[in-house]
Amino acid sequence: MTPLDELLLFSGLTLVLLLLLGRFSYAGKIATVFYAGQLLFLAKMADRIADGAIMTFSLQAELFGQQMSWRYDALSWFFAVITLGAGLLSSWYASGEWGERFRRRGGNLWLLHVALAANVFSMLILLGSGDLLALFIGWELVSWASFLLMTVAGGRAIQAAMRYITYAMSGAMAILAGIVLLWSHAGGLQYGQIIDVMPQLSQAQVWLLVALFGAGFAVKMGLLPFHLWQAAAYAETPGPGAAFFGAISARMGLYAIILVLVQLIGLARLSELTIPFTFLDMRDFWAWIAVLTIILPTYTALRQTDARYLLAWHGIGQGGYMLLGVVLGDALGSAGGLLHVFNYATNQAVLFFAVFAVMFRTGTADLNKLGGLITRMPISFFAMLVGIIGLAGLPPMNGFVSKWFVYRSLMVEGEPLLFLGAIIGTLGTILSVYKLIHNTFLGQLRVEHVEVREAPWSMVVPMIILMLLIFATGVAPGLVLDWVALVQSAVGLPVVENTLGGIELASGSLDMLWVVGVLFAGFGIGALLFYSGGRTRQVHQLDNYAGGHFLTAETRYHYSDNFYAGLMHLIRPWYRGSFVWLESTLGSLLGIAASLMQRLYGALHPSIYLLVTVVVTLTWVLL
Amino acid sequence: MSIQILLMELVLMPLVAFVVGLFMVLMLRRIGAKLQRRVGPPMMQPLYDIVKLYGKKTQISHGWMHDIGIIMAVGGYVAAETLLPVPGMDGIADKGGLVTLVYVMMIPSLGLALGVGQCANPNGSIGIARALTAMLAYDVPFVIVVFGVAWYFGTTNLVDIIAIQQAGGVSGWGAIAMPLLAIAGLFALQGMLGKQPFEIYIAPAEIATGPMVEMSGKYLGGLFVMQCFQLYTAGVLYVSLFLGGGENWLFFLIKVFAVVAIPMTVAFLFPRYKTEQMIRLMWKWPVMIGLLGLAFVMH
Amino acid sequence: MNTIVLTVVLPLLAAFVVPVLCRVSPLLGRLLGPLTLAYAILLTLQVWLGMEGKPFSIALGGFQPPLGINFYVDRLSLLFTFLTLVTSLLLWPWRNETEPRQYALTLLLAASACGLALSGDLFNIYVFYELISVASFGLAAGAAFAASLRYLILSGLGSVLVLCGIAIVYLQTGTLNLAQLSQLAPETLNTPLGMSAFALILLGVGVKGELFPVNSWVPEVYAAASSRVSGLLAGLVSKLAVLVIVRLLVLLFQQESALQLMLILGLLGAISGELAAWRAKDMNRMLAFSSIGQLGVIFIAFSIPGETGLFAGLALSLHHLLVKPALFLLAERWRGSLMGLRGAGLASPVAGGMFVLLALSLVGMPPLPGFWAKFLLFTGLAAQQSVIYQVALGVVLLSIVIEANYLFRVVMNLFQPAGDNSVAVITDHGWLNLGTTFLLSALLIAGMLFMGPLGAWLEGVAIQAADPVLYFDTVFPVSAIH
Repeated sequence: MTPLDELLLFSGLTLVLLLLLGRFSYAGKIATVFYAGQLLFLAKMADRIADGAIMTFSLQAELFGQQMSWRYDALSWFFAVITLGAGLLSSWYASGEWGERFRRRGGNLWLLHVALAANVFSMLILLGSGDLLALFIGWELVSWASFLLMTVAGGRAIQAAMRYITYAMSGAMAILAGIVLLWSHAGGLQYGQIIDVMPQLSQAQVWLLVALFGAGFAVKMGLLPFHLWQAAAYAETPGPGAAFFGAISARMGLYAIILVLVQLIGLARLSELTIPFTFLDMRDFWAWIAVLTIILPTYTALRQTDARYLLAWHGIGQGGYMLLGVVLGDALGSAGGLLHVFNYATNQAVLFFAVFAVMFRTGTADLNKLGGLITRMPISFFAMLVGIIGLAGLPPMNGFVSKWFVYRSLMVEGEPLLFLGAIIGTLGTILSVYKLIHNTFLGQLRVEHVEVREAPWSMVVPMIILMLLIFATGVAPGLVLDWVALVQSAVGLPVVENTLGGIELASGSLDMLWVVGVLFAGFGIGALLFYSGGRTRQVHQLDNYAGGHFLTAETRYHYSDNFYAGLMHLIRPWYRGSFVWLESTLGSLLGIAASLMQRLYGALHPSIYLLVTVVVTLTWVLL
Repeated sequence: MSIQILLMELVLMPLVAFVVGLFMVLMLRRIGAKLQRRVGPPMMQPLYDIVKLYGKKTQISHGWMHDIGIIMAVGGYVAAETLLPVPGMDGIADKGGLVTLVYVMMIPSLGLALGVGQCANPNGSIGIARALTAMLAYDVPFVIVVFGVAWYFGTTNLVDIIAIQQAGGVSGWGAIAMPLLAIAGLFALQGMLGKQPFEIYIAPAEIATGPMVEMSGKYLGGLFVMQCFQLYTAGVLYVSLFLGGGENWLFFLIKVFAVVAIPMTVAFLFPRYKTEQMIRLMWKWPVMIGLLGLAFVMH
Repeated sequence: MNTIVLTVVLPLLAAFVVPVLCRVSPLLGRLLGPLTLAYAILLTLQVWLGMEGKPFSIALGGFQPPLGINFYVDRLSLLFTFLTLVTSLLLWPWRNETEPRQYALTLLLAASACGLALSGDLFNIYVFYELISVASFGLAAGAAFAASLRYLILSGLGSVLVLCGIAIVYLQTGTLNLAQLSQLAPETLNTPLGMSAFALILLGVGVKGELFPVNSWVPEVYAAASSRVSGLLAGLVSKLAVLVIVRLLVLLFQQESALQLMLILGLLGAISGELAAWRAKDMNRMLAFSSIGQLGVIFIAFSIPGETGLFAGLALSLHHLLVKPALFLLAERWRGSLMGLRGAGLASPVAGGMFVLLALSLVGMPPLPGFWAKFLLFTGLAAQQSVIYQVALGVVLLSIVIEANYLFRVVMNLFQPAGDNSVAVITDHGWLNLGTTFLLSALLIAGMLFMGPLGAWLEGVAIQAADPVLYFDTVFPVSAIH
């Protein structure tokens, strides 16, 4: 038994066990323990992965002359850690009161657990793929497992899931086309064979391959213009599922992009491919896709009034930073991109946890129907605070570090416009997440929420764990950067030489230990100043400046709707919904074609077709 | 550098910043007075104000985030000062650099925003919404400037940026090498300081001073301290990027005060822009100038 | 070895005896058919084991070919014989207690299909093809009048075309023995006239093979006929039509243009069928259109030259033969509007689960067998240099996306809780339908588990079938000539 055998078998066992026991109330706890077990098996590999060893899977299959194998290198391991961490905390979150309530309200908890385990299992398989055929199989398994998890909620989630599966199938078919084209060139699908054949392919062929693989992987990643499915599909999934999706699911696309575009085709080759009618080469093009993916979905998020949708849209946008970093391809940028995978996963998970904790207590995620919950749910508030600071990329949380790396790389590479785009995205994120926390936790507490209590411990503890993780890896990013460096060397990217607190560079270093230390010292001084002042007196929320009016409990005194009115006044005309238009136009065209075909088959005189065809065919043949 | 000296610097740098900031507030008021043909306040007035506010008997709190918000607002700037080199003291500037400084400078704003948010006053929330929008507006030209400077000097380490400028004498200053970026930077500075014409988020007559609406006593005092730091930080940052930093304390202070005087003077000569007017303005002229400057720098 | 002839003779005999026997003893009448088929299956297996993979030829009536008629038995023809018998048995009309005619027709269909698969000359193929037509008319006649009439007319016209095509072949070569034709074909049929013969036969046989555009009977007939009959027609009869074409392509028409003609028609069928299915409003029509689409894909596969194409096509055919009847059986109780199916999967989770499994395999989710069949097709298409094959690759991929969309729209509908005003949900599928479907699904899973040996074996079948020289040498052994 190799360590990878143990991991995958145990993961499969988890799935089987949940299939059998998922109906019982302790299923969530079992699942949590088993995910923890998988994480342990993964940890067992850590030493050998760190030595650059590759874990192999004993089972190999050979079908139709195609050898299929599975193995874990540092890249797989890094993504697997995040996957299992997300799975562990999500199932922990679901294991207690949340699951109980979900079931009582008619939700299918069994399906939720099974789908989550299936997702984890299939992702672990995908991450281990040792050749392109195994990659495709894993890819499809992940797609269908995600689809299963998306359908758990029913209702609107079904439509979102259908949209997803249509996108996902289109993407998968593009990938399959790429795979068979590669097969016809290389005569096999082993990574080695493909790397060998690459130099012999013409630019046009590589261009086609990049387009096919890129488009396919972009669907999962939610890159423009294939992003429309993601927000609703993730947001409508019940709590733990949404957190899991948000944290890691879309990153499988990034994994595949790194594997195929970076490792097999190579970034240098991408730079050689020109885009017709532009000054760009393929790599610039990808960088621009990444930046557009940062900007547009982020500003779509700014307009959301449902907290879950807001987060899901940000998830799409944050993917852009990761891709941007990876495409930049230098030690700094790719480290930032990879680090952001981890950082963002922690941020997004804690944010979804907090939002669903609020939903658990209040029954709504509508940002216009909440407010003032900070006094009732302080831990959830704090969790969300940590999450938004991380998501917006401000110190001292970990999101800052990964974005800093990407920014620095853009500065070193001299990409001002990309840099500007990335910053515009960050600014939009700050605006949007402030709205999120303001409308949910700050401002006036509504009358109907006076009795609300903090979420139960089973939900709070995962949040606390994530908070600690976000802060710890913000102060000491070197902990994760060590892994990232391993990934970089496994993939063949330049390796970042980090320190525990960040990085030492001649052209500007970062040491988070000092920055955070000084920041907290500053807070200490601020606190000292503050508490040296006069004694404070806490007043009721209605004891407030109201321009001469008296406030009563019935008065809505919370500014939430159309929060950035001034900004929207200016930029609203820029939201054209072009992608939605494009999507629906394609749908309509398909509908028209389909009804034409039905007309064709429904016609009353089929024999005429036959005669016409015979005549036409004979003419064609004889001429 | 020994740890003792570093620690001393870390204590001294915010302290100096605070004192200089107090004088900047004084200058602000004096300039206003001169323009309005008044006498203006005495020298120690800013300090008196702060002491008065902290000492007030009625201190209204709207909850713990309100308190922490103020602590973050002051503390964030205290930390930011240590990232900003002054003559003779580098603090931890080499451990953070320009990008980190820019982001650390957002922490006080975030703290303020959170604190105001808990006050449950729509005026305050509207003010914050506008302030954040304003940030979106002025940060676009600002990051163009930051990028241009970092590219030109080939580093984000402020210590190095200053050293390179000083090595070249006055002609080595950023403002000489990158005049367009320096102009764009002035626009951003105006917005960053929240002075007229870009003070829609305070708008006393309309939203009752916005973020300050529920601030009294030491809360307002905290904001006062924050303003001192803010003026100082913005001034020093601009001087470090474009005017060669400080060769010695005398030149340093002259430059910093001169830089801060510009937005203050402008402030008293202009009325107030609406939010969308501000965005449009910020995204048009300074961005165009900045990008043009960037194009020159990068070729 | 000669016992293989009995697989044709016995069911044929039984078909004529059954109506009489039913009058004498209903019990015996009901048992006769299944017993005959089971025995025939046994015989087939016996021959299979006995032949050790080597093809052989049987001269009927003692006259040696080319004068006499012969059966050509290789792995391919045996495979189809076997499949015919098994499918007929699985889809046996167990429930039709009062209707001996159904027994007779099913047996007739089985006999003629076996004959078609085994026949070694073109004229016999035509005869058996006509017999199949007769049997399938009879089976489909229970359907709506207009639909069966349409089928009848198209099928009749198709037969005429086939006959014309055969006549041309005969005029050009003077023989109808396939082995002999395979020798003569490169000189005599490699002409426009030869191509027109192929085109006529292709279109004629294509009526049953659901080839575009002579397939417009399909949706109407399947919508009206019983699921069993639809399963037989879509699963079995269409494959036999394809088998005829494949034999002709290998032995007679090796021109590139013949392949291209089939490829284009297959392409049009694939895209039009899937698009029409996307809009279909009821279950049976949807399955019918999708069957048109899949047959289109099968034609595309067989139009790849060499054994690659044969291998991919066979894999796709087998898969379709397994999945389509199963889906039709499930659809038996899920007729009518797709909207009316809300909650049906929740009410009968076993049926719903099997539907999902079959749909997934149809869409080609790895590692289910459907994926491997399609994978063979794609690699085959990608290896071709000609642009049209690349286009075909794109079209097939697109058609899969459409297919996934409509199939899973149905699945989602099945598993949505039924609304308040929905009609009473059907739960009872009948143990027979459910059992048969279960068997087919289990076969599918088994196929997935033993994909390696299965694939190797099927490749052997394809390689053997793709060899015209072997065919000739088997029918006219070297020793016999000298």
